[in-house]
Amino acid sequence: MKFSVNWLREFVDLPKNLEEIAELLTRAGVETENIETRSANVEKVIVSQITASSRHPNADRLTVCEVDDGSGTKRQIVCGATNYKVGDKVPLALPGAKLPNGTEIRKSKLRGVESEGMLCSPIELGLGEDASGLLILSPDAKVCAPISDLFPADTILDVEITPNRGDLLSHFGLAREIAALTGKKLKSTPRDAKIPVRKTGVTIISTRECPFFSARKIDNVRVGPSPQWLREKIESVGIRSINNIVDISNFVMLELGQPSHAFDADSLKGGVNVRLARDGEKFLALDGKTYSLKPDNCVVADQERAVGIGGVMGGEETGVTDSTKNILLEAAYFLPASVRKTARELNLPSDASYRFERGVDPEMVLRASQRATELIQEIAGGTPAKEIQTAGKLPANPPDVSLTYEKCDRVVGVAIKPKTVDEILTGFGLMKTSAAKITKWKIPSYRRDLQRDIDLIEEVVRAHGADKIPGTDRSRFTPASIADRAHDLESAWRQRLAAAGLDEVRTSKLLPRERFAFSESAIELRNPLSEDHVALRPSILVGLLGVLDRNIRAGTERVAIFEIGRTFIPPTGKEERHLGILLWGNVASGPNWRSPQNRRLDLFDLKSALECVVPNLSVRPGKFPDLALPVDVFSGDRMIGFGGQLSVPKSTTPGPVFVVEVHADLLLIAEEMANKFREIEKFPAITRDIAMIVPEEVPHEKILRTVQEPREPLLESVELFDLFTEQIGAGRKSLAYRLTYRDRSRTLTNEEVTAAHAKIRERLRRDLRAELRE
Amino acid sequence: MTHPLEQLRDDALREIDCASDEQTLETARIKFLGKSGSISRWGEEMRTLGKDQKPIVGKLLNEVRNAVTAALESRAASFRSRMESEALGKIDISLPGTTHEIGALHPLTQMWQRSIEIFRRMGFALADGPDIEDEWHCFDALNTPPEHPARNEQDTFYLPDGRLLRTHTSTVQIRTMQAAPPPIRVIAPGAAYRRDELDATHSPQFHQIEGLYVDDNVSVADLKGALEFFMRELFGAETEVQFRPHYFPFTEPSLEIYVKSKALKGGEQWVEVAGSGIVHPGVFEAVNKTRGDNAYDPEKWTGYAFGLGMDRLAMILFDIPDIRLFAQNDLRFLRQFA
Repeated sequence: MKFSVNWLREFVDLPKNLEEIAELLTRAGVETENIETRSANVEKVIVSQITASSRHPNADRLTVCEVDDGSGTKRQIVCGATNYKVGDKVPLALPGAKLPNGTEIRKSKLRGVESEGMLCSPIELGLGEDASGLLILSPDAKVCAPISDLFPADTILDVEITPNRGDLLSHFGLAREIAALTGKKLKSTPRDAKIPVRKTGVTIISTRECPFFSARKIDNVRVGPSPQWLREKIESVGIRSINNIVDISNFVMLELGQPSHAFDADSLKGGVNVRLARDGEKFLALDGKTYSLKPDNCVVADQERAVGIGGVMGGEETGVTDSTKNILLEAAYFLPASVRKTARELNLPSDASYRFERGVDPEMVLRASQRATELIQEIAGGTPAKEIQTAGKLPANPPDVSLTYEKCDRVVGVAIKPKTVDEILTGFGLMKTSAAKITKWKIPSYRRDLQRDIDLIEEVVRAHGADKIPGTDRSRFTPASIADRAHDLESAWRQRLAAAGLDEVRTSKLLPRERFAFSESAIELRNPLSEDHVALRPSILVGLLGVLDRNIRAGTERVAIFEIGRTFIPPTGKEERHLGILLWGNVASGPNWRSPQNRRLDLFDLKSALECVVPNLSVRPGKFPDLALPVDVFSGDRMIGFGGQLSVPKSTTPGPVFVVEVHADLLLIAEEMANKFREIEKFPAITRDIAMIVPEEVPHEKILRTVQEPREPLLESVELFDLFTEQIGAGRKSLAYRLTYRDRSRTLTNEEVTAAHAKIRERLRRDLRAELRE
Repeated sequence: MTHPLEQLRDDALREIDCASDEQTLETARIKFLGKSGSISRWGEEMRTLGKDQKPIVGKLLNEVRNAVTAALESRAASFRSRMESEALGKIDISLPGTTHEIGALHPLTQMWQRSIEIFRRMGFALADGPDIEDEWHCFDALNTPPEHPARNEQDTFYLPDGRLLRTHTSTVQIRTMQAAPPPIRVIAPGAAYRRDELDATHSPQFHQIEGLYVDDNVSVADLKGALEFFMRELFGAETEVQFRPHYFPFTEPSLEIYVKSKALKGGEQWVEVAGSGIVHPGVFEAVNKTRGDNAYDPEKWTGYAFGLGMDRLAMILFDIPDIRLFAQNDLRFLRQFA
């Protein structure tokens, strides 16, 4: 909320250096986000009056104005704004004026028409952000007067008020807080004149939503523009001037925090009551829009229709206009939760609802009504009714709160003298009602957020200063949890995959609707915000394909990426941690002088990456429809995922794309098996190679099985080290294996290795019809 | 007078010294030490010598043979070393090293890992909870009244069945306390979601580390000590840390944490990095209700909680201007953090 320093100073003395007060407030949890000076201290800008206006002959968007600058001769000004009417008083920058934005005003021709100066908008004079049109001045402004006379220099504080502190949403409220924090006295408080009230004329049906309602008739008011001081006051904190009655209502809200509303009394049909809306009841609000109400919306109504949404906005049909003679001034207390709900449901936040939602001060309702009445009399004349008509009961004062100094010290962590605690709480308007070991505190009506001892302790921390509490070094030993082990495993995977040359990505868990490849469905949000974030990802691969697209478009030649993260499995949304890998493009990301031959990444690179993290990896033919070469992925005997080569018709990517997705949680247990020491081999091994030609369809796995089964006790390992199909005739392939023989307890003789090796060769020849090469 | 062997030795040494390459050196070796070389032949002649001469000449022969062998080896070594330096001298050492691909970890992962490492040294264990939550864990248990703005459909993503995407990782506080009695000292890294339009500083999905410490007499001072330590470990020992009172429904007092450090925006301004506070007794009471006991008696136990925005921390630590870069995963972006 914006605060005028001039206005605050009417209630409390502020130091000259406003940074100081901003810092003080910020340290006490009332963050000052911005400090801005406001003044119209620009030379050669004066008040002028528009006396005539006509279309620019050569430009549709411009008008040619004739203005009175007090000199006796009319001045011709070309103007682009449309928000004025003839007779309005507006600021005129004379030739030679230098505006705050640096513009120098000169006599000039605009599209062939002479312009002897410029009419200014607020932003051009350094008065706020409004650039939508001319700054319309009050009719009481004197033509020819320097503009700076109309706008006394001020400073505007932009302060973030937390939702629990509705009591700070007014100049008086913030001044009260500053007084408490600085130990200064308030210069004035709103008068608590005995205001005559009478329980008559208005009725409340929805007493829960509106515990208290008041209305005061004021007859024979003169509705018109506000005087300059009033206009400047509300405009300085960002509220537009409408007319004197509405401006006064807003002024009182800004001053005291209590919203009020003025009805055109003659447009009301019969007595006013407060009730719940009928389902679907239509309501034309002051913003010009029609709202369809729900039965939990509280409305102010006359005998025929709703005339206001309680605590939110008045109605267009019963609002105050220039022709209004008699008004009815409403001031009420609406239930915060009800106003909040209604304002959100209708998507109609207002300055009033903002305050009611956060809770207004019940003790301020009638004082605000009285203050507004006095101002109306002063500015718009009129005769107020002797009494304020009321209905219902204002909420009772908040209950007392108990506090022990010992608890305060315990929570704060350092001892704070009881005297200091008392001073702080008293400063905030609390009253000690019991000085026993457990002290009791009476809470002021405007501090409903203070409900239990911890709330009082917070006040102590705020005022005492969090920076005065020294930090302590306190630890505790904690055993590792399942989450710790999962994290460590995940970290190890990330390191290994990165070391294997894959980049880690993190893609959105929220996906557009149409991209559900790799799963038949996905959990959708009930209230998505944009088409890009509609469903929870059932698979990681969708995101990885998006990353592939983006990077191919960016011109990369190699995409080797992985992601570890949560997926949401339909229909329940069960959360599983998955690892996804995608490979596309070249093995090396760029040309290199050591290995100018670059090959493309393929399925075996995918297996190699998986082997970094999956123990006992194997793949078997799978059935996945989106994949051209689908495989099921196994760790030992357990199927943990799927993968393969993306089917070309489903992809626009040039060149093959390889993907795999595994359920990482399934591997958590496997990984925990600790490695155990095995004695290092003492005796040398003997290696023998076998080169063979077999029919192309014989898989490596079958050859391996033939070598390994039945088991030769001396055979330690078998490695494939060569494979080619060139120059041996179609339908054949040549493979070469190295077999390692060893006995862990002695040195082998050549003869026994030869014997074992011969048996294996024979099996290959017999079972696979392999052509063995010598 | 010189013995003929000595003469032979001098000849051999001279010849070795004059050898210009390995070839001539080998010729010299054969000439003197080869099977029928002139020095080797003296071995035969030993047999013809008398008893008194034998030991003297034998000793001399040994000395000569050793001297010549040593000279041969040294000369050969110098040839080899010359060849080696000639060969190596041709190598262009300015050529680039052999490249092999090493992947980069995502900057958010790095941010998480750094933070987790610091908290683990401070004795925090990890905790976890689901992204899809119910209203009770996300709001009710965290002392957020039914009409609170955060619960609105405008701010929170709901599923058709009434569940929601957690709006903060504070839900893990509740899950941890439901599962175990105090003391608790955990951090919970994870994603959270808010119904924000995607722009340079907002993303519907963002990332946090939640922290919770419940023990006897945990105070504001303990909270300050822990987070001051963390911030200094993360941003550097010179980092200034400020705690400003704020409002969150589930902590009281609530404190926002600001830091000022040379590592951040030149150390010119205070940067908001975290929210924290003393766990609101209403949170303990809600947990007790579902536990069916009084394990978290607010008069006996107190605790602090905090939430750090990982996206924001990574953005300020790495000078990343736009939060959308994280989810775009442009390799040119990711590789900058390799």
